[in-house]
Amino acid sequence: MHKHKLLPYLLLLPTIAVLAIFLIAPIVSAFIMSFQDIPFGEVIGFVGIKNYRVLVGQERFYKNVLYTLEYLGGNIAIALPLAYLAAILVSSKFRGTVIFRTIYLLPWIMAPVVTAVMFKSMLDPACGPIPVLLEKLTGNSYSFFTNPTLSMLTIIVHSAWRSFPILMLFIAAGIATIPKELYEAAAIDGAGPWKKFTNITFPLTLPQVFIALVLITAWTIPDCEGPFALTGGGPGRSTEVLALRLFKDAFINYNLASAATTGVILIIIGIAIVVAYLHILRGGGK
Amino acid sequence: MNGRLFATSVVVLLLVSTGVGALSSTASSKKPVTIKLAHLYDEVSNPITYAWIQEMIKGFEKEHPDIKVKQEIFRYDRIDSRAMMDLRTGTRHDVMFSTPQLMPKHRLVGDYISLKPYIDKWSEEERADFSWSPVWNKSYPLGIPTGMHTRMVAYNRDMFKEVGLDPDRPPQNLTELVDYAKKLTRDTDGDGKIDVWGLGMYFGSERATVELYFAPLLWNYGGQLWDPETKKAAFASEAGVKGVQFLYDLVYKYRVTPEWAASGTYGDLERRFLDGKYAMAMGWGSYWIRDLEDKGLISGCFPPTAECKAPKAGVFLYPTKNNEIFVNTWSLSIHKLSKHPDESFEFIEYVLEPDNLLTFPDAGLPARASLWKRPEYNTDFYKTWHEAAKHGRPMPSTARYPELGDTVAAAIQEILAQKAPIQATLQRYQEEYNAEEYNAAYGR
Repeated sequence: MHKHKLLPYLLLLPTIAVLAIFLIAPIVSAFIMSFQDIPFGEVIGFVGIKNYRVLVGQERFYKNVLYTLEYLGGNIAIALPLAYLAAILVSSKFRGTVIFRTIYLLPWIMAPVVTAVMFKSMLDPACGPIPVLLEKLTGNSYSFFTNPTLSMLTIIVHSAWRSFPILMLFIAAGIATIPKELYEAAAIDGAGPWKKFTNITFPLTLPQVFIALVLITAWTIPDCEGPFALTGGGPGRSTEVLALRLFKDAFINYNLASAATTGVILIIIGIAIVVAYLHILRGGGK
Repeated sequence: MNGRLFATSVVVLLLVSTGVGALSSTASSKKPVTIKLAHLYDEVSNPITYAWIQEMIKGFEKEHPDIKVKQEIFRYDRIDSRAMMDLRTGTRHDVMFSTPQLMPKHRLVGDYISLKPYIDKWSEEERADFSWSPVWNKSYPLGIPTGMHTRMVAYNRDMFKEVGLDPDRPPQNLTELVDYAKKLTRDTDGDGKIDVWGLGMYFGSERATVELYFAPLLWNYGGQLWDPETKKAAFASEAGVKGVQFLYDLVYKYRVTPEWAASGTYGDLERRFLDGKYAMAMGWGSYWIRDLEDKGLISGCFPPTAECKAPKAGVFLYPTKNNEIFVNTWSLSIHKLSKHPDESFEFIEYVLEPDNLLTFPDAGLPARASLWKRPEYNTDFYKTWHEAAKHGRPMPSTARYPELGDTVAAAIQEILAQKAPIQATLQRYQEEYNAEEYNAAYGR
């Protein structure tokens, strides 16, 4: 009896050990580093909350947070509806949905730096097809990377384009689990496609949408590859999201204490947003 | 009896194992030592320099059969921070390519050993062969320069002729530079849009913006990026404002440089000049001489020969007051955790042999004064580069240089891309840098 009680824990032990080494230990380490003075990688000593005080005392930090939220919000606003539409398409009985499923997954399987280079080429102010097309249509010239709004839009669209395929798979999996009888019963009651969507498909895929929302949040908040490769945080610092700031501090400027502090703040922001989602979801349930 | 036999066996075994151990330790002392060479040239993106590295290793191993060289490849902008971080993680390297403008940071971190004890053994003549160059003091004693990356203004001689400018008389000062650029900026197909820009530049979010454009202009007007006495950034001075105003005017007043120069990468400058979109390209690096040759704009200049001619493209010194430009290089250093510093320095000395340095494709220009005396460097084309190299000036000697460069580049990009007010924006970024406690504490 006692043996049976222990066995599940023993089986879980390797997973717990791996998580402890690769997930919990770095977080704890970052947390400790955020309270230390670490000039050029050498720990001088504990400095209490000084690193936090310095960071929150900067105007640049608040802008970093604002740009992070803009980046996240924009990404969700584009990627989630797009993923839902794509999920409906690949779940439908139309011919050729397999082809769509494959094509849609392409952005996901490509490395972010590669897709960023593709975007940069397409948006090249001198010869990129998109600025050339826009100029022909509107008569105005467009330089995406010298305009703060267009730069932010570019990193958002790039991230959304890369994120939506995996979200699509989650939502499509949710759609696949809805019993066909529900649609048949609704059809007998005279419900059209829109009614079926609003009363059956959408409510029953809400858990998957929530998972997708959490996933995209978890990916976007710490994402620095896209912004770094596309804009480098510019023009000026108008696309310098917190993760990019962290990357610069840690790997270019070698200011590990500041980077660790930013990392802890990123974790806190991520947790706060997910808790807010949960709160909203529970409120919605009531 | 059995006990005696057992004891005898144990003693014999011990003696045999000790003997074998001694023999193996003698044998291991003859085993080749392996040193690690951390460089930045991979086979795909830089096959020519990669091939040169292989040649160096092969040649060195042939001369030193007891030393093997193992390669480690890092990104060019990661190799310095890798050296610093690996000191903390205990990861060993031996010979490493290093960046002179980051030497103050390396000095504080202590990730490279001083090469002074080795260089002290050099003859006076050998030392003088290197110490003349402006990059020597930035590298030594933590590194030894392998070449000299120098910048000039490249220009298309055919385009000069097309607009009636004398290609043998490039601009002598900033006013002339603007006048020339105005003439060279053209709409060649008559569609109302500019097809050839007079003066190509780059103002992106990289340090090239500061090093190749802002700093030389700042020096021209008598300013400095960083004050070594107060240990504070000083770029928002009157000279700084004048420097940025000059860049701003090129874009918005004279319209000889495109607005989108404030985006993209430094590499775009090279591409657009070679494609004929820029008539002049300011900040043309000596590491791009090969590209001029490949494009057919010069001939016999890369690799350098005594027949070097520049019929279609020329270069001229920055037409600033003292022709001052930023110079840097790739240096060779030895990591603090190296277990074989002597063997590592032997490898460095092998690479620094004149004939080896001469063929280093990424050297830019020779770091050895003696190489400049060779006929292949006594052509008009290389004499101009030599002149520019002599006007070389390094970036400020602060360990917080990366942050300084990042801050100034962001300020300039904001001004040029968003037409932000020059004085106020420079001042805001300067205050931000100086207020950063970390910069103040460790900016020495």
